[in-house]
Amino acid sequence: MSAPARSRETHRVRRWLRALGGVAAGITLAALCMLAVVMLLNAGRGPDAGISAHSGLLAAVAGTLWLAILTAAIAVPVGVGAAVYLEEYAPRTRAWRFLASVLANLAGVPPVVYGIAGLALFVRGMGLGPSILAGGLTLGVLTVPRVIANSRRALASVPESLRWNALALGATRWQVVREQVLRAAAAGIVKGCSAALVRAVGAAAPLLIIGAASFTTFAPVSPSDPLTSLPTQIFAWTARPQAGFPALAAGASVTLLFVMALIGLVLWDIRRRHGEARR
Amino acid sequence: MTAFRSSTGAHPRSDPRERLMGGLLLGCTALAVASAAAVIGALGLETVRFFADVPLSRFLADLAWTPSAEEPGFGILPLLAGTAQIAWGATVMALPVALVLAVFLEFYAGKRTASVMNAAVAALSSVPAVVYGYFALNFVTPALKGVWPGLEAFNGISACLVVGLMILPTIVVLSREALGAVPRSVLRQAVALGATRERAVLRLALPAAWLGVLGSVVLAMTRAVGETMIVTLAAGNPTGVSWNPLEGVRTLTSFLAQASMGDLAPGSIEYGACFAVAAVLLLLTFGMHALGRALVSRGQADAPGGSRS
Repeated sequence: MSAPARSRETHRVRRWLRALGGVAAGITLAALCMLAVVMLLNAGRGPDAGISAHSGLLAAVAGTLWLAILTAAIAVPVGVGAAVYLEEYAPRTRAWRFLASVLANLAGVPPVVYGIAGLALFVRGMGLGPSILAGGLTLGVLTVPRVIANSRRALASVPESLRWNALALGATRWQVVREQVLRAAAAGIVKGCSAALVRAVGAAAPLLIIGAASFTTFAPVSPSDPLTSLPTQIFAWTARPQAGFPALAAGASVTLLFVMALIGLVLWDIRRRHGEARR
Repeated sequence: MTAFRSSTGAHPRSDPRERLMGGLLLGCTALAVASAAAVIGALGLETVRFFADVPLSRFLADLAWTPSAEEPGFGILPLLAGTAQIAWGATVMALPVALVLAVFLEFYAGKRTASVMNAAVAALSSVPAVVYGYFALNFVTPALKGVWPGLEAFNGISACLVVGLMILPTIVVLSREALGAVPRSVLRQAVALGATRERAVLRLALPAAWLGVLGSVVLAMTRAVGETMIVTLAAGNPTGVSWNPLEGVRTLTSFLAQASMGDLAPGSIEYGACFAVAAVLLLLTFGMHALGRALVSRGQADAPGGSRS
């Protein structure tokens, strides 16, 4: 191919690539904008007065906050602890590698499956019934493998030389982990935990399976109260075809996104303050 | 790495703090393993009970899944077919956009564009599934009805589109990681030898990263297989199998969600059926996730100048 012909060809390819990239970016942005506009418009229409008197969101919001706290209390210590053990302590034997890979792949198992397991284990087996506690335990169990996977990724990205240097200076193993590895990986671990927790807060399927109530008359004040949450409430309202309910569901969705953003903001603040404390 | 783990000299076992922390971390691991075992055990136990009542041959060969009907059908195939339809459909919708976007963001987009798009992709990945389900049912289906008036109220195409939107971030983020793992020095050398930028990207970076890209697609499909809310809300609950995307689809996950809305009596055949379906879902997603992870890590090891050297 002669030089001018070739340069003309590459120009064409480059133009095509850029145009395609722009189209793909445009499609993604358009989808996101449509999603936001649809939710806000429908939420803005507001429900009929007849329904709205019986459809407050206080119970669902309180349920979701309870679930977030329970899930974090279970999944963060267990998940981060297990990740540290698997990355820094566990011997590299076949048995440990097998256990680690089972835990890693459980992170890919969908929440519904954990819902069915939670039904057998917590609702019936432990006799908790469809309570906030049963929901929190189910979400906790489903979040642990995700926290482990994300935390292990953060720990694995800490350079090996950091560990060796600290050991060479006479640090014990836990000192190495606490003073060097965890400090270096802290931002990544908190980020990984936040991602897993935000996912759990938005999960409706497992709570639906273990029997979330779609109609509650009081806000849960203790973990033994009946299970209710924003995602399951959105599902219940969306699944009802009568007029007025789509607007309710959209309003609840906007509320859920707001609550998730709030939780994300709190976690972001923890990350930021931790980053400042390090320096 | 091994030497660090086995070097016991630097951390005296006699130090109580060392032993306490080691024990605590081991305890966390034991809890995680125990909860995983409990999940797998609970599903396994009820599934074994289910297969005591329903022969495995019916599970594999029946052509209908209607466990609560007068003459029940216990064939898993219709549900697997529905799940395959949704997973393939969603991947076919998402893959072209996601792959082009990954290449564009990694090699072409300016800083501003890239940061806007990163934020958009992150936003898409944090939208809860039930909100996507609402979007599919109340916006995408009515909009598509304008194009195909014959569209049913619950249909496969709208679910596929929205599941595709949901898995798009997975493909974009992981494919970008795979493309980013190709050493820039290799690409620069190619350009220095006279290749154009496009040649370096399309003929060098993309082939070098293709295992990682494939892995990202498999992981995204795993999410599509497990997606519950969008399919339950938008694709309906038909008992038959239809390959027409304008009609409803029932998947493994949407059966579970629908069945749990009725009252499941423990010990009943429907209760056992739910566990059998959940066990199939567990095996399927576990295997796909393992395959996807293996591809992603193989891709990293295979990349020129990758971690294998």
